[in-house]
Amino acid sequence: MSEGVLTVLKFCLLALVYLFLARVVWVVGLELRGTPVAADVPPEPAPSRSSRRRSYRLTIVEPASERGSAYVVDGELTIGRAGGCHITLSSDTFVSQVHARVFERDGDAYLEDLGSTNGTFLNGAQVTETTRLKRGDHVQIGETEFEVAR
Amino acid sequence: MRTPTLARHRRNVEITLGLLTIIVTVGGYVLVALAKNSTLPPDLYLLLAAVVGLYVLAHLTIRRFAPAADGTLLPLAALLNGIGFVTIARLDRNLARIQSVWVAVGVAAFIATLVLVRDSRMVERYRYTFALLGILCLLLPLVPGVGQQINGARLWVRFGALNFQPGEAAKVLLVIFFAAYLVDKRELLSSGSVRVAGMYFPALRHLGPLMLAWGFSIIVMVQEKDLGSSLLFFAVFSAMLYMATNRGVYLLGGLVLFVIGAVIAYHLFTHVQVRVTTWINPWPKARGEGYQITQSWFAFGTGGVAGTGLGLGSPDKIPNAATDFIFSAIGEELGLVGTMAIVLSYVLLVGSAFRVAVDSVRNFSKLFAAGLATIFGIQTLIIMGGVTRLIPLTGITLPFVSYGGSSLVANFVLLALLLRISHETVAGPPPPRVRA
Repeated sequence: MSEGVLTVLKFCLLALVYLFLARVVWVVGLELRGTPVAADVPPEPAPSRSSRRRSYRLTIVEPASERGSAYVVDGELTIGRAGGCHITLSSDTFVSQVHARVFERDGDAYLEDLGSTNGTFLNGAQVTETTRLKRGDHVQIGETEFEVAR
Repeated sequence: MRTPTLARHRRNVEITLGLLTIIVTVGGYVLVALAKNSTLPPDLYLLLAAVVGLYVLAHLTIRRFAPAADGTLLPLAALLNGIGFVTIARLDRNLARIQSVWVAVGVAAFIATLVLVRDSRMVERYRYTFALLGILCLLLPLVPGVGQQINGARLWVRFGALNFQPGEAAKVLLVIFFAAYLVDKRELLSSGSVRVAGMYFPALRHLGPLMLAWGFSIIVMVQEKDLGSSLLFFAVFSAMLYMATNRGVYLLGGLVLFVIGAVIAYHLFTHVQVRVTTWINPWPKARGEGYQITQSWFAFGTGGVAGTGLGLGSPDKIPNAATDFIFSAIGEELGLVGTMAIVLSYVLLVGSAFRVAVDSVRNFSKLFAAGLATIFGIQTLIIMGGVTRLIPLTGITLPFVSYGGSSLVANFVLLALLLRISHETVAGPPPPRVRA
């Protein structure tokens, strides 16, 4: 086969490679700018007052100094000693960095231990797998005790 | 409900990009045969079936097990792997035959990782087990009987007819350990409690296990004379320490430790001295110790801007052209234009991996993904810099491109883990098994 044809074919191949790279850059650019991919999706409806009131809440019962502080679950609550948690229990050394989480799915709230060292307790029993929460349940993490309300 | 649209979009991107990589791979293979024998390769349909089959399998696995994962990672890896395979096939058909088996094993490992690791927290939980396994993998080649010395480096293990480098597996395992450990001890390591010369340093007992694992892996690798890997480990762990703590002192400390280690290694080992002298000036020894690196330069020079064309150069003159020097072989036949494409592919691959890290919300996933991105980036830098004489040559594979089974399988596992994290970021962790 003549060298000329081969050279042309080589450039075609290289052009394809660059076409590929350009397409990757384009896709990455789209994702970085964020919206176009999701643009055809209607925005999530703003939570109405009633649905917010029906959301689960965690209220601190122990220690007495914190009693009454309430946290709305609103999707997910992480509990731990790390600053990035929704509920930070920074002074309690029995609490792991990211200790446990409470999240809502299909209108129910669930408690999940995130591999903590000292365990998470639901009504006095250690939580070993994700467990559904009921109103009035007591959740114990380190020295802090929460009551579930909605 | 953004997830399904984004997932569908990403999977479509993966398909269209995949189509291009398949055309490039098969097209390159055809071009080599045309240049060499002026005929189509006899096993064209076999290759086409294999390439399409493997890509579709990998894609369907992602679709089933990580549908919302990033759509550019697999195509980029596939492109690099394809170009690498074409170059290997052009250099040595026997090696290509073995490599094709390894690619299949690599894709199988990729699929297995995605199927088995459904939750990245699973990986985090077994950190100490993985650390132990990693250290065992590093030690294995030193065991008499199983260990094999090839090209002066003792990093092979032989089981029956199978040769492999357990160090490649150790790479993945130790990065998992470091990410998990650093996330736990982040605050302790970044705040510092011991004051030395006006600066605060973390207490030794927090740094201890880290330094132990680090020093241990470096000593073992020096024993095995695997300079490339020890450089890689050192750089990746310094970078991860820095990323976990946001303290520049770790980068500085890593650099100082590296310089001290390099000077000591230079005085202790003749093979290090050889690498440095042939880096500074290879020409006096162009027929001896500097042969590889000068041949590599000749290859790049012959290639010029556009290259000689696939199958039309003579990259087989470079020793180890299919492994360490595959970048030079590509440089000769595809020229600057081709090598730039390879460099860009790595930039985009590492960039996508870092995007996975940045998007991730969980600390472990973030640091782990960033560690994996750093591995790809630094490994590429070490070997590309080595063969172009930017830095002293230390043998290591070019990820996805070089011939070499263990490295390929390890890289496919890394890729699968990145996709897993990327999927979790969008879709959240797998639905919990609920006790009613």
